[in-house]
Amino acid sequence: MITVYVPGDSAARSVGADTVAAHLVAGAAARGHDVRLVRNGSRGMLWLEPFVEVDVNGTRFGYGPVSSDDVDSLLDAGILEGAHHPLAHGNVDQIEWLARQQRVTFARVGVIDPLSLADYEAHGGLAGLRHALTMADDDVVAEVLASGLRGRGGAGFPAGIKWRTVLEAQSDQKYVCCNADEGDSGTFADRMLMEGDPFTLLEGMTIAGLAVGATQGYVYLRSEYPDAITRLNEAIDIARANGWLGNDVLGSGRVFDIEVREGAGSYVCGEETAMLESLEGRRGMVRPKPPVPALQGLFGKPTVINNVLTLASVPMVLADGAAAYQALGTGRSRGTQVFQLAGNIARGGIVETAFGVSLSELVNDFGAGTRSGRSVRAVQVGGPLGAYLRADSLDVAMDYEALADVGAMLGHGGIVVFDDTVDMAQQARFAMEFCAVESCGKCTPCRIGSRRGVEVIDRVIAGVDREANLMLLDDLCTLMTDGSLCAMGGLTPLPVRSALRQWPEDFGGNP
Amino acid sequence: MSAFAPWSIEQAEVVVNKCASRTGPVLLTLQALQCEFGYVHPDAVPLVARTLNVSRAEVHGVLTYYHDLRTSPAPAHAVRICVAEACQSVGSGAVVQRAEGELGVSMGERSVDAIDLESVYCLGDCALGPAALVDGQLLGRLSPPQIAAVIASLRSESA
Amino acid sequence: MTLLHEPDFGTPERESDVTVELTVDGAAVSVPAGTSVMRAAAQAGLSVPRLCATDSLDPFGSCRLCLVEIDGRKGTPASCTTPVETGMVVHTQTPRLANLRRGVMELYISDHPLDCLTCPANGDCELQDMAGVVGLREVRYGFDGENHLDAPKDETNPYFTFDESKCIACSRCVRACEEVQGTFALTIAGRGFDSKVSPGGTSFFDSECVSCGACVQACPTATLQEKSVIDLGMPTRTVLTTCAYCGVGCSFKAELRGDELVRMVPFKDGGANEGHSCVKGRFAWGYATHRDRVTEPMVRESIHDEWRVVEWDEAFEFAASRIKSIQAEYGTDAVGGITSSRCTNEEVFVVQKLVRAAFGNNNVDTCARVCHSPTGYGLKQTFGTSAGTQDFKSVEKTDVILLIGANPTDAHPVFASRMKRRLRAGAQLIVLDPRRIDLVRSPHVEAAFHLPLQPGSNVAVVNALAHTIVAEGLVDREFVAQRCEPAAYAVWEKFILRPENSPEAVASIAGVEADDIRSAARLFAAAGNGAIYYGLGVTEHSQGSTMVMGMANLAMATGNIGRDGVGVNPLRGQNNVQGSCDMGSFPHELPGYRHVSDDVVRQQFEEVWGRTLQSEPGLRIPNMLEGALSGQFRALYVQGEDIAQSDPNTTHVKAALSAMDLVIVQDLFLNETSSFAHVFLPGTSFLEKAGTFTNAERRINRVRPVMSSRTGLSEWQVTAALANALGYPMHYDSASEIMDEIAGLTPTFAGVSFAKLDEVGSVQWPCNEGQPDGTPIMHVDQFVRGLGNFVETPYVATDERTTRRYPLILTTGRILSQYNVGAQTRRTENIRWVDEDVLEMHEADAEPRGIADGSWVFLTSRVGETTLRCVITDRVPPGVVYTTFHFPVTGANVITTEYSDWATNCPEYKVTAVEIRTASQNHVARGGQLAAVDQDGVSIDDLLDGETLAIKEEFAHERADVKLARMLDQIVKNSVGLTPEDQVERVARHLRGFWTPAMVDELAQAVSTGAVTLSPPAAAAVAELTAGAPSAAS
Repeated sequence: MITVYVPGDSAARSVGADTVAAHLVAGAAARGHDVRLVRNGSRGMLWLEPFVEVDVNGTRFGYGPVSSDDVDSLLDAGILEGAHHPLAHGNVDQIEWLARQQRVTFARVGVIDPLSLADYEAHGGLAGLRHALTMADDDVVAEVLASGLRGRGGAGFPAGIKWRTVLEAQSDQKYVCCNADEGDSGTFADRMLMEGDPFTLLEGMTIAGLAVGATQGYVYLRSEYPDAITRLNEAIDIARANGWLGNDVLGSGRVFDIEVREGAGSYVCGEETAMLESLEGRRGMVRPKPPVPALQGLFGKPTVINNVLTLASVPMVLADGAAAYQALGTGRSRGTQVFQLAGNIARGGIVETAFGVSLSELVNDFGAGTRSGRSVRAVQVGGPLGAYLRADSLDVAMDYEALADVGAMLGHGGIVVFDDTVDMAQQARFAMEFCAVESCGKCTPCRIGSRRGVEVIDRVIAGVDREANLMLLDDLCTLMTDGSLCAMGGLTPLPVRSALRQWPEDFGGNP
Repeated sequence: MSAFAPWSIEQAEVVVNKCASRTGPVLLTLQALQCEFGYVHPDAVPLVARTLNVSRAEVHGVLTYYHDLRTSPAPAHAVRICVAEACQSVGSGAVVQRAEGELGVSMGERSVDAIDLESVYCLGDCALGPAALVDGQLLGRLSPPQIAAVIASLRSESA
Repeated sequence: MTLLHEPDFGTPERESDVTVELTVDGAAVSVPAGTSVMRAAAQAGLSVPRLCATDSLDPFGSCRLCLVEIDGRKGTPASCTTPVETGMVVHTQTPRLANLRRGVMELYISDHPLDCLTCPANGDCELQDMAGVVGLREVRYGFDGENHLDAPKDETNPYFTFDESKCIACSRCVRACEEVQGTFALTIAGRGFDSKVSPGGTSFFDSECVSCGACVQACPTATLQEKSVIDLGMPTRTVLTTCAYCGVGCSFKAELRGDELVRMVPFKDGGANEGHSCVKGRFAWGYATHRDRVTEPMVRESIHDEWRVVEWDEAFEFAASRIKSIQAEYGTDAVGGITSSRCTNEEVFVVQKLVRAAFGNNNVDTCARVCHSPTGYGLKQTFGTSAGTQDFKSVEKTDVILLIGANPTDAHPVFASRMKRRLRAGAQLIVLDPRRIDLVRSPHVEAAFHLPLQPGSNVAVVNALAHTIVAEGLVDREFVAQRCEPAAYAVWEKFILRPENSPEAVASIAGVEADDIRSAARLFAAAGNGAIYYGLGVTEHSQGSTMVMGMANLAMATGNIGRDGVGVNPLRGQNNVQGSCDMGSFPHELPGYRHVSDDVVRQQFEEVWGRTLQSEPGLRIPNMLEGALSGQFRALYVQGEDIAQSDPNTTHVKAALSAMDLVIVQDLFLNETSSFAHVFLPGTSFLEKAGTFTNAERRINRVRPVMSSRTGLSEWQVTAALANALGYPMHYDSASEIMDEIAGLTPTFAGVSFAKLDEVGSVQWPCNEGQPDGTPIMHVDQFVRGLGNFVETPYVATDERTTRRYPLILTTGRILSQYNVGAQTRRTENIRWVDEDVLEMHEADAEPRGIADGSWVFLTSRVGETTLRCVITDRVPPGVVYTTFHFPVTGANVITTEYSDWATNCPEYKVTAVEIRTASQNHVARGGQLAAVDQDGVSIDDLLDGETLAIKEEFAHERADVKLARMLDQIVKNSVGLTPEDQVERVARHLRGFWTPAMVDELAQAVSTGAVTLSPPAAAAVAELTAGAPSAAS
């Protein structure tokens, strides 16, 4: 029996993995081979998708990108024995692109069968939860605090402090909410983790829930990720059936359960308070803070809200100890960060590495420049609310503080590359338009400002009262930054202003 | 796209009652109705309000907030093209243009043969753009000719 | 008074033991922890610009005008959502903030019509104000961007318009509808720039909106605007006054333009309503100037003559001379008067004074007879005073609300909003009501228990609740030991533990599950603070008084008296029910609930009034009507009550009125009763009066004249003139003088004066030397009577039973948009919502009768019938039907019987055995007249079989002595005692306290002639009272 891996990850499926898998199974059978097909997650080398792996005596040989047309030639070449082929990449573990990374959160993604609990445990799964169950709740929280784990959703707030607040809050009911509303363009790590290693998220949430005294967890998952929704729900059913979710977590007598709640098409619901409103089944309107959700969150109860990657990092912290996690990273940015290389990039995918790697390294080394082969003109870091950086200013360390120093932000770790055909005035306009489309409509600067922002940029582009409109745009950006209720309106000026400042020529000015 | 049940208030009651015991149930109930019937029939609003003990106005507020929810019957097919930055950087604009041309409608409209063309902001396929969700299936590395082929196959499916 | 602008601190007041000190713009401020920076600034006299914040709503943080800078903090936080912290240094005015605020206003105005000069809100627009405050000078975005200027107007609501083009999406209306009113009828629809206020995707009229006006009140622009302001223009001055509808007694700012009333705006400082209102108080005041108003006095020789308009003096002379001649011929006691719970305390006081001093008898009664007389009786017996124990605010501290026989969302909407707010915040609710009222389940409110008991079984259920509490050891022993009569408790405990009071025994009587009764009892007993609220569903029964005492027992047993959040709270039907009772409107009591037999008290009145007063109780309304039919009672002065529509068995009432020689009606409009009147004295609306109303929480509020009297006189002047014409000198220069006389004669009012009320706004009696600031919560350290008195409350089924012929029970109530007999509300746009009484009926009863939803039906009882439209609903349980009595065309009270509360004769409106059958619209019984004729000339009676008619005949002419014997029998059944002697003593005491000697004599006479037979205790009591009297000897 030979095990063949064809990713079931939706990105891989979007470029034909399902057909490849079917052809492979059929072709192998036709050739008399007994093949076991595993639909693993993606290794994150997305430019190689569909990326087929063959397990030959414990070594996994990779081939990609494979189209269904290639299957016969691959089988004929003898890939089931790990043979060479023009699409072959050899021993997957030794592929430099992967070998250079420090896969912690993503350690199992692409490696295991996502829904095999045996695989999961064989690769270290549940060690963190088992350890946590032996500890006092305070100690679990202390461990997370000591690890320096910071929220991966964008704000980078230390997870342990949130947990401590919830732990210390007195309430008959507390919740853990996982923010899986990964709406930033250029980000897909949450999705890949949920599709490729869903148990890790469930384990992290369970540790969080037990530590702070919550009995119910919710995963708020965007509707644009139908595969992730299905996969996570399947994983929850399996976890429940195997006794590590529900009324008696791993025989501890403690209660914790998880439910997936689907979004319905609203970017701003990725903002934590809007997400709470949406989880409560209401309009996704941003709430003012204070009160912080840790004290008055879901249904007014103390609530831990963390991003998928934050919670998925927790099992490792508990399994290997805070010190091991703390040892990774730089400055106040501890642990690893999962970067996502996207857009016009030759080698797009997941790069998990310790904080401190430079943007240039990611774009030029890992990413190998643009997919179009043209020169890089702009890189947007941190999603649609992130700043654009010029190709000549990519020599910046990718950590929270260093990016802040250059007026950018890490956000959810998404990196979108544009080649020299990009019109930065249009990108600035798009930032305002996106805000206008997705604004919840609560605060004035965002609700009316974003609409006016589009109109003002249009006038600038058209050359109408250019100077006056540029001044107005600048005032508007200040108003949105200082005056908006949440980051949606507050950060929209970031891409706008970075484009204006660095590419004035696109706005009819002098370069 | 899977066939939806034709609207029926009795069946809607069954769907809504199933959701009634869930926490914070309004949105998920509307989603369940849309899942069943392809849309949220206006007559469902008072039903949802009554069953969940909220006001009709609140249900209306939720129904009009979320872009996923619709109040008229579902199209035969839905083509949702990602127009966010990552896909823009690899030419989603041209894909959109071609789709509009093929369907004879602008983004946000329904073609005469009941194919909806919608924009979507990010499908999580950002390294393999341009991406689109066609009847719930994610497609990557799209080119203008490919979207034209996709639309043609949808049409032949309907025909 | 110029237009009264009330201070708005931006965010609600917070309570905290911790005080936080901070600096705002250099000024030191101390505020309770949890206070917002905005409110702290306002307290320092600094106004931070704002649009979405107002102190009646929780902070929202959407407009972003109120941004401030705080030393040591990044950015510019919104002051409305930022709580103060110790040592905070806040700057509300900096160049940076000025730019941001101008920027916000620039955005707002870029999507707003530039029609300030022609806008109805011009001069009263916060958006306009803020544009000025921030110094907006230009809108650089121009006005040709995307906007909402072409949005359509919704003018469907009769009282206000919704002009979406002026909406700034601040959500104040939406939040007011949720937080203040609790209806959730508004939402923001859509999102982002497309966000718009919506009453749920329909028109305002078709929406869930109850037209309370909270949204209009909250709107900072002209988006939601009173139509009266659009029509008449901005008001220029304010008169503070009190609403004249229900017993909540809301304070309003009457806003006028010159002498024309433009709008009524709820007053934030009003203790009863704290800035909230309902559709009636806020909008339905147009009846005051309705064309139906009669403004000149009228007389006629006979009720068959036409009215003749006369001068006031002629009217007084006409009335006085007739009264004098009647008294000369038939005796002093042949005349009487009825005071009105809609009139002011001062007006009521002079009417009862007229009766007692000028008529020279105690034949004064009030319309409270037919609503809350059992409250007075029951609470006096148990607690020692005839009033509710709490202020309305108390409900905010309640953990479990026991709501019995009241429908606050329709009848007391402003208090209902307060109650709903508390329920949304986590209090639990138990509802005892045959009908599923809105509070049982409405958006965001759901009762823990609804016990849909059979009408008439209240006492059985309250006993079962108490039984459970005692049997399960849930009594608050400490409270009972310290605060209540030990002997009375011991007797009561023994009584309540009897098996017939167990939930299991009561279940079949009440039609309620025993388990539900037990669970509800446990929930109430376990509450930290349990409060009982009740309405006419308690009092309007043959055991109304027993039920009031049953609730008082329950409150004492659970220790729920004497602090915030607890108590026994009557929800009074009319604006001044409490006041009219306080003012001595009952025939047995002088003002302040002192019995007429109390020599000391009576002498005080005699000294001031200069007349000798009778020392025995006078006639109650039903006694007067009985007396009229038997020829002893000949003249009646009725102020502000339409007894021919509102009192039970109106056929009987009309017969009695027809039999009188003189009926004087004082009212705003000709009404059902005035059809039988000889003198019509035009009355004034509350908008023309000076005086005071006392609401259900004993709060004495000023009523101030908003417009000049349409009749030229005030009611008290009319009453005084009548007294003078009768030869009794009565003179006051002002209403204030009357209150001074009240205060001088009534210990609980000793500290009340107009000057005091003008100074402090309102006070809750007792207000005297001991309680100079009034008494929000009563019985705090001890009961008014000293120790609380437990009274045994045996369940005695009403004589009104369902039969094969009348198998259904009719119960009655109110709806939101109409009020009482509808005299006011029917003359306003409120008829747009409801313009007829309908009969609610369960499918299970409708189906076998072949009755379809919306069809016309005959409603028949043994005393009368009418025709109305039927609505099939599961709000009522099978076997019970329900209607309202707002429309004279229905005349629902033609159906109700004269059965009444054993102690007070409050009519048993809530239980009438009826039958329903299909009818056609042609058979409509207009005005509830029995002889209504259809198009073919067939009377309704023709459609009924002979037997039915015979039964009706029998009841319509029940002999007076038989009736008295029946009433006495009820008293005996309800006055149980330890020994037979004890019971006789109780019955005798009751008769002495409440019956006129003539009534006792009449009964004794009938006994002696063998016309009636009495039970042994009844006979003994009558014998005791008549011992030595000639009639007993004969």
